[in-house]
Amino acid sequence: MAVRPSRMVLSLQGVTLPERQHSSSPARLDLELPRRSVALVEVDDEADAVAMVDLCVGMTDPSAGHVRFLGVDWASRTPRERMNRRRRIGAVMQTDVWPAHMSVLDSILLAGAYHFNRGRDEMIEDATELARLFVLPGLPTGRRETTPRRALVRAACVRGFLGTPDLVVVQDPVLEQAAELAVPMAQAISTAKDRGGAVLWITASLAARAAEFVEPEQVLRLGEQGLVRARRGR
Amino acid sequence: MSMQFATRRYRRTAFVARLRRFLASVGSGTISGLQRLLLYLSLAATVLVVALRRSTWAPPVRAEFRRLLDQVAVRSLATTAATGLLVGFALVSQAVYWLAQTGTTGLVGPVIVVLLVRELVPILVGLILFGRSGTATLIELGEAHTRGWLRLFEIQGLDPLAMLVMPRAIAFALGSFCVATTLLLSTLLTGYVMAHALGLISYSIQDFRDLVLRAMDPSDFVIPPLKCLTIGFAVALSCCATGLGRHDEGDELQRLVPRGFVRSALAIFAVNGFFDLAI
Repeated sequence: MAVRPSRMVLSLQGVTLPERQHSSSPARLDLELPRRSVALVEVDDEADAVAMVDLCVGMTDPSAGHVRFLGVDWASRTPRERMNRRRRIGAVMQTDVWPAHMSVLDSILLAGAYHFNRGRDEMIEDATELARLFVLPGLPTGRRETTPRRALVRAACVRGFLGTPDLVVVQDPVLEQAAELAVPMAQAISTAKDRGGAVLWITASLAARAAEFVEPEQVLRLGEQGLVRARRGR
Repeated sequence: MSMQFATRRYRRTAFVARLRRFLASVGSGTISGLQRLLLYLSLAATVLVVALRRSTWAPPVRAEFRRLLDQVAVRSLATTAATGLLVGFALVSQAVYWLAQTGTTGLVGPVIVVLLVRELVPILVGLILFGRSGTATLIELGEAHTRGWLRLFEIQGLDPLAMLVMPRAIAFALGSFCVATTLLLSTLLTGYVMAHALGLISYSIQDFRDLVLRAMDPSDFVIPPLKCLTIGFAVALSCCATGLGRHDEGDELQRLVPRGFVRSALAIFAVNGFFDLAI
C-alpha cells in the first residue's frame, strides 16, 4: 500500500471557541493531528463539541486562529471547494440522523457514490465488510423508521469509516454508551490508521465505554482556557 | 389662541408621524418583498447554472432525479387523467353547449385553444404538481434542518443544491410537460365524447381534432409547453425554498404546507401572467 506523505491531517492553531454556554471565557484550541494518529478529546458540553466539529470540518470559520485540513486553511477556500475537500472526511456522528426519502443503505453509500463515482457493487462489498465488523448481520436496506435503533448506530459507524478517509471525526453521545461497539470501533480506527488516516474522537467522557479499547496518541480535555493534556482513567 | 395653535400643531405632528409610519411600513414591505423576489430569482439562476454543469450529475443526483421524475410524471398519471376527465366534462361540454346555443359552433377550436391550451392546462398542471409532489417535497425537506441531516450532508461534502434542489427543479419542470400532455389529451377526449354523447356536436373525432389544430398558431406548440416547464420549475423552487427554510421545530410542519401552497400558487400565477403579458 502506498504511503502518503507525512503531514498534519488536521491542525488547529490559536483557534478560539466563542460563545460557550458553560464558560465565560472563550477557549483556545491548539491541536496537531498527524497521519496514523488518534486524538481523544473530552468536551463536557455537547454544544461545544458540535462547535468544535464544525470548526474542524470547515463548516464555520474561527473568529481567531487557523484550522488547516491537509495543510490547507479552510478559511482560504470557497464554500464549493470546502464541500469538495470534505470528501476526504468520514463522520461518525448524528447516529440517529437519516434522511426520510432514502433507504439506510443508500444513505450509507451516498457520499462515496457522490464524490468518487465508485461502483455500487464495489461499495456494497466494502460496506458489508464494515457492517460485519460492527456486528450487523448485513447492510440495513430499509428506511430509518423500520430499522432498529441499535442497527442505525452501527450503520452510522459503517457510513463514517467507509472508503479511505484522511480524517474520521467521531462525535456522538449515543454511540459512546454502546459498550458492545468498543472492540469494533478500536478495530475500525486501527484499520483507518493503517491506511494513513487520522481519527479525532470528541467524547463527553474519557471513560466512554465505546472508546475503551482505543489507544490514542493524544488525550486532551477542553477546559476553561482551552485544550489541555489529560489522562485516561481505566 | 395659543392653546388652539398648540392643539393644531400637535394634530399636525401626530398626522405626520402616522403618515411616516404608514410610508415606512409600505416601504419595508416593498423592500422585503423585492428582496425575496431577488433571492428567488437568484436561486433559480443558480439551480440552472448547477444543472448545466456536467460534474453536478453524480450517480446519486441522477438516481434522485429519476426517482422524482417517476414520482412527478408516472405516478401522477391516474390523478392527471381523472382531473382531465372532470375538466373535460365541465369545460368542453359547456363550451360546446353555449357555442351551439349561440350558433357559433365553428368557434369551438379557438375557444378551446385559448381557454384550455394557453390558460387552464398550465395552471392546473402547477396545482397538480404541488398537490402530488410539492407537498411531499415540503415534508421531506422541511425536516432537513430540524432532523439534522442537512448538516450531515454538508459535513459529508454533499452539496444540498445539487443533491436536493436541482433534481427536484428539473424533474418537476420535465414532469410538468408530461402531466400537461396527459391532461390536455384526456380533457379533449372526454369533452368530445361527452359533447357527442349529448348530441351537442355531430362531427367525427378527426374533425374535432382538425378544428382544434387549425385554431392553434405555431406559437401554441412552443409557448404553452414552455409555460408548463417554467411553472413546474417555479413550483419545485417554491417548495424547496419553503421546506429548507424551516429551521426549528417551533415552526410546525403542518404550517409548512399552507405556506408552500400560497407561495407555489403565487409562483404559478406570476409565471402565467408573465407569459401572457410578455408573449
